[in-house]
Amino acid sequence: MSAAPVVQLAPIDYAVMATYFVAVLGVGWGLRRVMRTSTDFFLSGRSLSPWITGLAFISANLGAQEVIGMGASGAKYGIATSHFYWVGAIPAMVFVGLFMMPFYYGSRARSVPEYLRLRFDEKTRTLNAVSFAVMTVFSSGVSMYAMGKLMNLLLGWSFDVSIVVSACIVLSYILLGGLTSAIYNEVLQFFLIVFGFAPLVGLGLRAVGGWQGLSARLSEVAATRGLPADAYTHAWTNLDSAAHNPVGVEWFGLVAGLGFVLSFGYWCTDFLVVQRAMAADSMTAARRTPLIAAVPKMLFPFLVILPGMIALVLGGAGGSGQGLVPAKLAADGAPLLDGAGRAVLDYDLATPMMLVHLFPSGMLGLGVTALLASFMSGMAGNVTAFNTVWTYDIYQSHIRRGASDAHYLWMGRIATVGGVVLALGAAYVAGAFNNIMDLLQLVFAFVNAPLFATFALGMFWRRSTGHGAFGGLLAGTLAAAVHHGLTLPAGTQVGVKGGYLGVLHTYPSELAQTFWTAIVAWVTCFVVTVVVSLATRPRPAEELRGLVYSLTARPTDEALPWIRRPATLALAVLVLTLALNLVFF
Amino acid sequence: MSGSAGLDVRWPIGGLFSVLGLMLTGYGIATSGNAEQYQRSLALNVNLWWGLVLLVFGAALLLGARAGRRPTGVRPALDTPEGQATEAREHRLELER
Repeated sequence: MSAAPVVQLAPIDYAVMATYFVAVLGVGWGLRRVMRTSTDFFLSGRSLSPWITGLAFISANLGAQEVIGMGASGAKYGIATSHFYWVGAIPAMVFVGLFMMPFYYGSRARSVPEYLRLRFDEKTRTLNAVSFAVMTVFSSGVSMYAMGKLMNLLLGWSFDVSIVVSACIVLSYILLGGLTSAIYNEVLQFFLIVFGFAPLVGLGLRAVGGWQGLSARLSEVAATRGLPADAYTHAWTNLDSAAHNPVGVEWFGLVAGLGFVLSFGYWCTDFLVVQRAMAADSMTAARRTPLIAAVPKMLFPFLVILPGMIALVLGGAGGSGQGLVPAKLAADGAPLLDGAGRAVLDYDLATPMMLVHLFPSGMLGLGVTALLASFMSGMAGNVTAFNTVWTYDIYQSHIRRGASDAHYLWMGRIATVGGVVLALGAAYVAGAFNNIMDLLQLVFAFVNAPLFATFALGMFWRRSTGHGAFGGLLAGTLAAAVHHGLTLPAGTQVGVKGGYLGVLHTYPSELAQTFWTAIVAWVTCFVVTVVVSLATRPRPAEELRGLVYSLTARPTDEALPWIRRPATLALAVLVLTLALNLVFF
Repeated sequence: MSGSAGLDVRWPIGGLFSVLGLMLTGYGIATSGNAEQYQRSLALNVNLWWGLVLLVFGAALLLGARAGRRPTGVRPALDTPEGQATEAREHRLELER
């Protein structure tokens, strides 16, 4: 990592960055007096308006792995990457807002694992809490590693200094102002990311002659890879067979694996996002949180995917089919080649290379700051979710019960420091995959895929029991590991990519394997939960009030004008998403 | 219900974008004669134009915060009709802690 940096920042760029640092620390400082109880620190005292929690909901998810990873996928897969949004996010966000938030918010659980404690039992909660805590630290570390490596390559910053300094800034503002500080800064970071990347897309489109020009050039790239001409510019047309599209999946695997299992597993059960909605000031506000978040989420493909697609066709080496995206280098400095003799591209550099290529000093500072902001919002999201789950679901329930609230507030601050230190450790362990998103999706597949079956059965089937939920979760995760171990994506070696138990089936791509792993895990968890539940004793209906659909009063929205009801917003979001799918069909 | 922070989120965000807007606009004006620098951005002085956009956005937030309409930042749940309805329902259903 000692090669010359791609670009040098000018003093104005550093001034822009410093201004941002002052602002985020200032928010923490301005909120320092508000943190009196653990509820203030972990749940913002349940006092925020839905606009704030909605933007934070989306911003906590908009980490660096999203901005860099989606740009990478844009270069790799084209506009089909928008499936991660229009299929893989919006429907689940609408579902969690309309149907699941009444139980999360209404049960007064302080975390997602705590809901499992109320609905099922202690062991189910602990299993979920521990796996969530580990995953949070892990994904925070992965994102930190990627950021440090990128800043080193792009700007010549020291890897250690970049990750330690950004981690310390995040740590400071969370210690000062708790979840409120993280959420306020997530809103700030949301706007910074939007304003940092919007001009990149504008300039990029101008450089390639608009969407028409981009389509024309991408059809040439598609031809060099033996794909149909419209493979990069249509989201659905070529999904009839995995061989016809760059994603390498067919529509059923995509819709069932990504759109149902993975997406609902993440958006409906991941405390990182649900925590933002729990901080809202009322049930209606909590339900509107994911729905408000869905509006920008729906438009993000234009912000984060287009730069990657444009990077593929921009720059001197236009006809080479790699544009600005550099090839990966082997240890001896020569470009890595794949089985077909084509260069293996370092897709994660697609978006950063666009920044360097199109932004002059000044704007470059804004662009790099937007990257840092995305990294920090993702990290703050992970850290605030981690400290809450650690303190309430692990420490309070297993290590020290019945202490004073001040003690748990103190523990929360310690856990904040601990979480950041662990994530820093994970950052040094991370790194092996071509595309960060694939790796994260894989981890989610093992841990999160079975989760949604557990929550769906817990919330909508009163007969499901704690033993059933626990057994189902274990079986689902195990099934995911076994399926992954028995299959292999085409063109890869046995090992971390799968096949370690013997190769029974070969998938056309890693994503196809990931989606099917998720489907297998979900189905296994569902079946095992049902079977074990029927064999064990149900809890009396009296104990399940407010926790299960059939035993809970429906939230009434009649008091609100129709335009402000969650259902109206949900319908508008779904119609617009459908329209976007049709436009880019 | 605790947690009235009293800090309207529009202040820090409006402040940040106003300052960034001023910085980029100023830098854009100072470098407006430098054609070489703006070759990258297709001969467009993006610092100047985008700086103005940031400035307008930041100023709008600051004005909104100053106008001091009910702060959207933090408001106690019980100030809103839906908050009161939620509290009443939770009381009825005995879900309170």
